[in-house]
Amino acid sequence: MKREETIAFFVEQAKKDFSIVEKNLAGIIQEIKLCEEKKLNYIEEFDEQDVSKQLAELKKSFQAKDSKYFGKLFGVPVTVKDAICVKGIESKAGSKILQGYKPLFDATVIERARAEGAIILAKTTQDEFGFGTFATNTEKVPKNPFDNERSCGGSSGGAAGFTAFTKNYHLAIGESTGGSIACPASFCGAIGLTPTYGLVSRYGLIDYANSLDKIGSVAKNPEDAALLLEVISGHDEKDSTSLAQRFVKDDATIKRIAIVKDFFDNCDEEVKKVVQKKIKELKKFYEVEEISLPLNAKYALSAYYIIATSEASTNLAKLSGLRYGVQGNVEGKHFDEYFSEIRSKEFSAEAKRRIILGTFARMSGYRDAYYLKAMRVRTKLINEFNSAFKRYDLLLNPTMPVLAPKFEEIEKLSPMQNYAMDLCTVPANLAGLPHISVNAGFSRGLPVGLMAIAPHLQEKRLYSFAKVIEA
Amino acid sequence: MSEETKVIIGLEIHAYLGTESKLFCSCPTNATMPNTACCPICLGHPGSKPVLNEKAVELGTKVGLALNCTINQDFFFSRKTYFYPDMAMNYQITQYEVPLAQKGIVVLPSGKKVRIRRAHLEWDPAALVHPNGMGKSSYVLIDYNRSGLPLIEIVTEPDLVSPAEAREFMNTLENILNYLHVLRPDTTLKVDCNISINGGNRTEIKNVSGYAAAEKALSFELARQKQELKNRKTIEQHTRAFNADTGMTVELRKKETEDDYGYIFDPDLVKVSLSKDYLEKIKSRMPELPEQKAQRLIKEFGFSNYDARVLCSDFNLGKLFDEMVSRKANALLSARILTRELLAVLNHDALSFNDVIVKPDDLVELVVLIEQGKVSDKNAKQSMINYISGDKSAPSAYLQKNNLLISARINLDEVIAKVIASNGKAVSDYKAGNEKSLNFLAGLVMRETKGTASPQKVQEVLKQKLS
Repeated sequence: MKREETIAFFVEQAKKDFSIVEKNLAGIIQEIKLCEEKKLNYIEEFDEQDVSKQLAELKKSFQAKDSKYFGKLFGVPVTVKDAICVKGIESKAGSKILQGYKPLFDATVIERARAEGAIILAKTTQDEFGFGTFATNTEKVPKNPFDNERSCGGSSGGAAGFTAFTKNYHLAIGESTGGSIACPASFCGAIGLTPTYGLVSRYGLIDYANSLDKIGSVAKNPEDAALLLEVISGHDEKDSTSLAQRFVKDDATIKRIAIVKDFFDNCDEEVKKVVQKKIKELKKFYEVEEISLPLNAKYALSAYYIIATSEASTNLAKLSGLRYGVQGNVEGKHFDEYFSEIRSKEFSAEAKRRIILGTFARMSGYRDAYYLKAMRVRTKLINEFNSAFKRYDLLLNPTMPVLAPKFEEIEKLSPMQNYAMDLCTVPANLAGLPHISVNAGFSRGLPVGLMAIAPHLQEKRLYSFAKVIEA
Repeated sequence: MSEETKVIIGLEIHAYLGTESKLFCSCPTNATMPNTACCPICLGHPGSKPVLNEKAVELGTKVGLALNCTINQDFFFSRKTYFYPDMAMNYQITQYEVPLAQKGIVVLPSGKKVRIRRAHLEWDPAALVHPNGMGKSSYVLIDYNRSGLPLIEIVTEPDLVSPAEAREFMNTLENILNYLHVLRPDTTLKVDCNISINGGNRTEIKNVSGYAAAEKALSFELARQKQELKNRKTIEQHTRAFNADTGMTVELRKKETEDDYGYIFDPDLVKVSLSKDYLEKIKSRMPELPEQKAQRLIKEFGFSNYDARVLCSDFNLGKLFDEMVSRKANALLSARILTRELLAVLNHDALSFNDVIVKPDDLVELVVLIEQGKVSDKNAKQSMINYISGDKSAPSAYLQKNNLLISARINLDEVIAKVIASNGKAVSDYKAGNEKSLNFLAGLVMRETKGTASPQKVQEVLKQKLS
């Protein structure tokens, strides 16, 4: 990674010469238009007027040398996963049912990015509400920049796709529930940094599963990913689950690393090969051993899908064609009838599947056997990780078991096969552990991601490790 | 069916806690114009998140302690999911597995102990407004000012055996809550009433406004269930609504089982842990409760159990007593004025204490007049009737205006001297030991003074003169 490629370098230059900001922004707007033309579908919502207004205000900051001018993201265009609320800009989490919902407020992460001088550029495409691994459960399906026949991964597909696509300085705010940052980062050869649960405020995030949702960064290099996390992390009184700590970019010593054998074994050969090669190189820097996490291998996916869908099915209850989003004709209908009509029409098949699954898991007679049991299992799985971290500084596994698949291949997957693709990313997400996906190399011209997992609040280990990998 | 009907009643009482802001957002609780106190949180806008109002926890904890409950130091909130247009999120944030408080006892004036199952916090749904009345409007309006107001739900065990006892319980409970200062002013408590007879299935009468209505609803339902059994019908478990206009209950829906609400832990909120110090602090700041106050009055002023309890049965009545005493009024006479005269007038006119304006200074003046022997019992009573139901002028002003005051001691002395002088026989009879003659003489004095004299005083002075 060259210093000239980092956002920090760009910001430094921008503070000297505002035309650098203007040129970068003009370039990236050109790219957005090109994406539209080529139907690459990275961008869900782009309001050019709003962006020009932000640019004009930033120019004033430049002249007045106010606090934004001294910000860490001065002049940096930032794209935002559609599920994150931006005041006055349609924010619909990739769902038809929220069409027209323009939030009355900025998410905390947006407020923080703006305060540091960022330009909120556009909303990026995603699976509806984050329900998916390939960003295909939505109207606007992003195409992998390495091969347009293939998926970007999901659910933060647009974020990773655009990060890989753009030649300009840019940062992407993504969100992960079960792997939605790491997966697309892996398929698009980007850096995906998912923080410890609670490190970044969720205020303004349209929920998938609140006890799992984590806002994080997608970027071209570890420096940029860490910089964005520095800006957006930290306590927020508007989110009860927000932690007191914040992330500060800092190096950490890493000595012992373990490869999680169970996750590794379930991957395709071509993925294994690339990752193995990379790990061999790592032995120069670290002690590398193998470890097994049998409980996580066996139960993480099931526990995850039960908890995530249980929470999701209550979150989505509010979407009923009342107050915001899509409205229908209520005349002469009982409210039950009206709600059902709107929800039947506007939710995708995957959203319906997860609502039904989640409602089942928490209903009378099944709640103990599914929802409550999954919650107890979750604690056991966290404990299994914690004991592994007594011996190792980091755990490694391939981010995804496969290379970015073709859309036609995805169509053939059953829901169960589809959910199984999250095998490597779900355990860390379920445990609320910070993790990063970095590019380990290529196979058939397609990027392969390597995922590192750190103990809670040890993001700096991920930052240091990613720099070694990228070097 | 000659054997007695066995009635089992359990109540769920919803009370608004008197916080300044809502339970999970900072919207004010006192707005009057519809939809002027709402925000993305209480409107359930996507992206918004609830944050717990600590004041509500404090008030709820006080309620738990006052109802002799165990306070759960660690508790959390759950989502109760059901679809209804007044629910901003189509789930209610409430407490399920672990409530704030549980296992309490409330002692009724009758001495009966009613067990409290639990008391938990939850947020209120929005208000549905039917412009032309329920079932008569072609559309419904939603007022979100109510959405998110803090409620405490107090659930009893099925320990109550009659509608009247249920009413007694509700009065006792409300009094305790008033003493605690935890209620939102000017709100009616809402009651869900569960009733079954002779071990049959229970029916639940939902959302009855106020205690008088709850008692009526229960009485109607009791009669209805008896009639059903008489007609050899079985009562199925279901939910009913009470129509306050007709005084009848009507079937609403077959009861869904509790778990159909699909409770999950609310993952937007974190576990609340109350420290020992926090609980101790709240305990040390608990105000005097009715029972404690009654004991104090008995001890401090030698009141009868009855007077003490009556004075404490209404927070404002007890407060009025305190205010009178703090203005140096005689405690026994103050109690008498309140528990006898004032309550007699209120009962007669079917008024509640809170319907009328009573100023402590006005009553203190009356007490002083009584103490000085300047007003007879009869006229004191008359002045109270006028104070509450007449032209509402202060008792002393009323007595003055109508020349009902014994203006000076000298007048009484003169009257008595006159009576003694012109009734030699009665005087000598009394002196010879005939006690009745004293009453005769006193009666003449009372007549002469047109009843303005205090009978005790007259007796006292007569005895003095004749000794």
